[in-house]
Amino acid sequence: MNLLLASTHYGAWTPPLYSQHGGSIDKLIDVVHVFMFVIFIPWAIFFVYCLMNFRARPGHKATYTPIKAKVSKYAEVGVAIFEAFLLLGMSMPVWADYKNNPPAPDQRLEMRVVAEQFQWNFHYSGPDGKFGATRSSLISASNPIGLAEDDPASKDDIVRVNECHLPVDKPIYLRLTSKDVIHSFDIPTMRVKQDVIPGMEIPIWFTIDKNATTDSIRPQMKTVVPMDKAEWYKVRHLVAAVDHKVKDEVVLAKGADLGADLTKGKELLEQLRKKGLTELTLEPRNPLEIVCAQLCGNSHFKMKAQVMTHTAEDFAKWLTESSKKPEMQTDF
Amino acid sequence: MSGHHDHSHGHHDHGHDLPFWRKYIFSVDHKMIGCQYTVTALLFLFFGFTLMMIMRWQLAYPGQAIPFIGQYLSKDIAADGVLVGDGYNAFGAMHGTIMVFLAIVPLAVGGFGNYVLPLQVGAPDMAFPKLNMMSYWVYFCGGVTMLTSFFIKGGAAASGWTSYPPLSVFASSGQTVWLLGMVLLITSSLLGSVNFIVTTVQMRAKGLSFFRLPFFVWAQLVTSFLLLLAFPPLEAAGVLQLMDRLAGTSFFMPSGLVFSSEPQTHMSGGGSPLLWQHLFWFLAHPEVYVLILPAMGIVSEVIATNTRKPLWGYKSLVYSVIFLGFMSFIVWAHHMFMTGMGTTLSTFFQATTMVISVPSVIVLTCLILSLYGASIRYNTPMLFALAFLPMFAIGGLTGLPLGLTASDIHLHDTYYVIGHFHYVVAPGTIFAMFAGIYYWFPKVTGRKMSEFLGKLHFWPSFVFINVVFMPMFFQGMAGLLRRQYDQTEQLHGSIAHGLTKMSSYGAWLLALAQLPFIINFFYSMFKGRKVDANPWESTTLEWAAPSPPPHGNFDKTPVVYCGPYEYSVPGKSKDYCPQHVAMEA
Repeated sequence: MNLLLASTHYGAWTPPLYSQHGGSIDKLIDVVHVFMFVIFIPWAIFFVYCLMNFRARPGHKATYTPIKAKVSKYAEVGVAIFEAFLLLGMSMPVWADYKNNPPAPDQRLEMRVVAEQFQWNFHYSGPDGKFGATRSSLISASNPIGLAEDDPASKDDIVRVNECHLPVDKPIYLRLTSKDVIHSFDIPTMRVKQDVIPGMEIPIWFTIDKNATTDSIRPQMKTVVPMDKAEWYKVRHLVAAVDHKVKDEVVLAKGADLGADLTKGKELLEQLRKKGLTELTLEPRNPLEIVCAQLCGNSHFKMKAQVMTHTAEDFAKWLTESSKKPEMQTDF
Repeated sequence: MSGHHDHSHGHHDHGHDLPFWRKYIFSVDHKMIGCQYTVTALLFLFFGFTLMMIMRWQLAYPGQAIPFIGQYLSKDIAADGVLVGDGYNAFGAMHGTIMVFLAIVPLAVGGFGNYVLPLQVGAPDMAFPKLNMMSYWVYFCGGVTMLTSFFIKGGAAASGWTSYPPLSVFASSGQTVWLLGMVLLITSSLLGSVNFIVTTVQMRAKGLSFFRLPFFVWAQLVTSFLLLLAFPPLEAAGVLQLMDRLAGTSFFMPSGLVFSSEPQTHMSGGGSPLLWQHLFWFLAHPEVYVLILPAMGIVSEVIATNTRKPLWGYKSLVYSVIFLGFMSFIVWAHHMFMTGMGTTLSTFFQATTMVISVPSVIVLTCLILSLYGASIRYNTPMLFALAFLPMFAIGGLTGLPLGLTASDIHLHDTYYVIGHFHYVVAPGTIFAMFAGIYYWFPKVTGRKMSEFLGKLHFWPSFVFINVVFMPMFFQGMAGLLRRQYDQTEQLHGSIAHGLTKMSSYGAWLLALAQLPFIINFFYSMFKGRKVDANPWESTTLEWAAPSPPPHGNFDKTPVVYCGPYEYSVPGKSKDYCPQHVAMEA
């Protein structure tokens, strides 16, 4: 059915998880689904039993009096009680945990996220911890959030487009806002989702797992794809995890991608097949993505940013290095 | 009211003298209007499905030219035969709008409700026949308006069937046409609902007390109240959005917007995009029940007839739909959990959402317990009605993780949602509609549809509709988002692409599976086996009228002597006791 089911979990159940709060969400999803099966399976068995046992046939007559169904009453009460448990015992506490008690200002990395058609802009306060002022009149292609350079606080600010650097194991506090239409900030692998609504600033917070740096995740998501199942659409975001050799000749070097578009991808895959390669060992180019979950226009599907997660030291290094550069970074 | 009653009777004798255009076009006869609704809605159903089949090509083979039809699509929709992003979004928005407002509601309420309800209550026509005619023609104009939007510059509305501002306010002029179309469609539904309520309350036959009403009538009555109470807020909201687009108001537009690097200083601002969502979902959640209640009504009729025994827990069914109708007004914000809702509001809305599942469980329980001790006849309408039960169960159960805020964080706006509501509406409601068509076809035409073609329609449809929608739950679990022009653009969508293809093939095969139905429909209309007035040996009043019923419906004004589902009554010679026949002592 799905070629990468086993190794990366995409398409089998929830995707891999790299945030601390996500476990309780996954647990609720699992419990609800077990509950659904516990209801549905006996129900379906009874249904099929009725269909077979009470089919019209010569000599068989329907009974006028209704059956006294105690079981169904118990079942209905049972369903209601279990739903109450799901609500009070699981969903409400998890939601409260997700929504209440933001991390203290001195313990969190605070940053602004400004969404627009069709990109994510990330605004870091830099080492001084102060966000420079922004003005909509200053917005331009090279200054997507309208950062006021005359504000001293903006001097060490960092603005990144579609590239988000985050530390692991530290509470991250995002202030989400939008310039134009409604977007939705979604990191499937972190179980984070929040609509981004113009005219409002909505905070969310989460903490990334200690071991979930981008460099350590990528090899974890390594997968082996048989050549005959390697369709370009399925491998377009994957790169070679090792050097692929046929008779000591490297046909696909480590880190090489599988074609920028469908035509090139098809050609490349065909060449590799002809050269006698039987399987590909691949890993995602960017294992963590921020995507837009709310329809925001004709290129909604392209609105995504890559997340680079770093250890505390690496993140601090990135922050200092990036803030030293005087000019705005708008690399795509 | 009695004056009106007499008035319609006055028409009776002239029924056959009416000129063609009065009899078939601008008819005031509820049966002709019902047929007009049914045929128009089926055409829209087919059109909405076609849009989706084209979209499913783009999803399965992103960026590749659509075979056969790609070259005929306009430049706003497809370039060199390849669907473009705006075209995809327009098709998506119009698929949703057409399926909900132009296909299923008109079919379930306008078609079945109009045709069957007056017959089942023993009335000669609707309470307000001219209002009824107006309701159809306003709907027709709304439909034409929606269709014309495909041909204007910039194409049809492309902001989803939910039309969230500011996107919808910035959108091209197709959105204006969409709003005008919606105003017409809502007006049509309001006219219809008033008619249904008055007819049910005032025009029941002698002896037909409320608790002797067929369950279908109850379902339609509750549906009409939902339409009457829920639609006006959206009509108002539609007008407000129209003003935002045309008159420069800012009901839904906040201050400080910057669109395509241009500050929107000409707007007064200060509006709220969330206000639209509240108004929209205040309609659109009850709307979900408008889609499902008539389906439950049809399924109950078909099941009662073909199990040859009374429905189990008739009163529980009635109380459940009334409760469902009431609750459906206080769950709307569960569509908005991700808008930044705190713990207080979400507590209320997830609690009401769990509560509303209880009456749905009761309805399903009653219907399945009705099978116990039955003598089940497996004809085509019954197959569709039976298939409704597990399909609706899956649709209902998968609503649970979406109704709980915590699990909704991961599943919101993913294909899991698409799978969930399609299970309710497609193999749920649409299967019930098919059951209804096969079931009442002999009443409408005096001929039965072919059983062979019917089964050839049912079995492949049942298999392929699950091939279409089952993969969506797994895709949603993987995080695949809805409304994606190219799902493979994102990592998780790309990896789960195999399931997308499977779903697409399911959709195309499902379309093929509809051919026997189309053939059957037209063939049986002219060549089907002729049957008498009550071919299913059923009990409710519509079967007391001749097939097809004449203008004025009944040869003799019916009087009702018993409840709606007196099947297999012990000690009787026949296994059914029609409502209009006095039971022997």
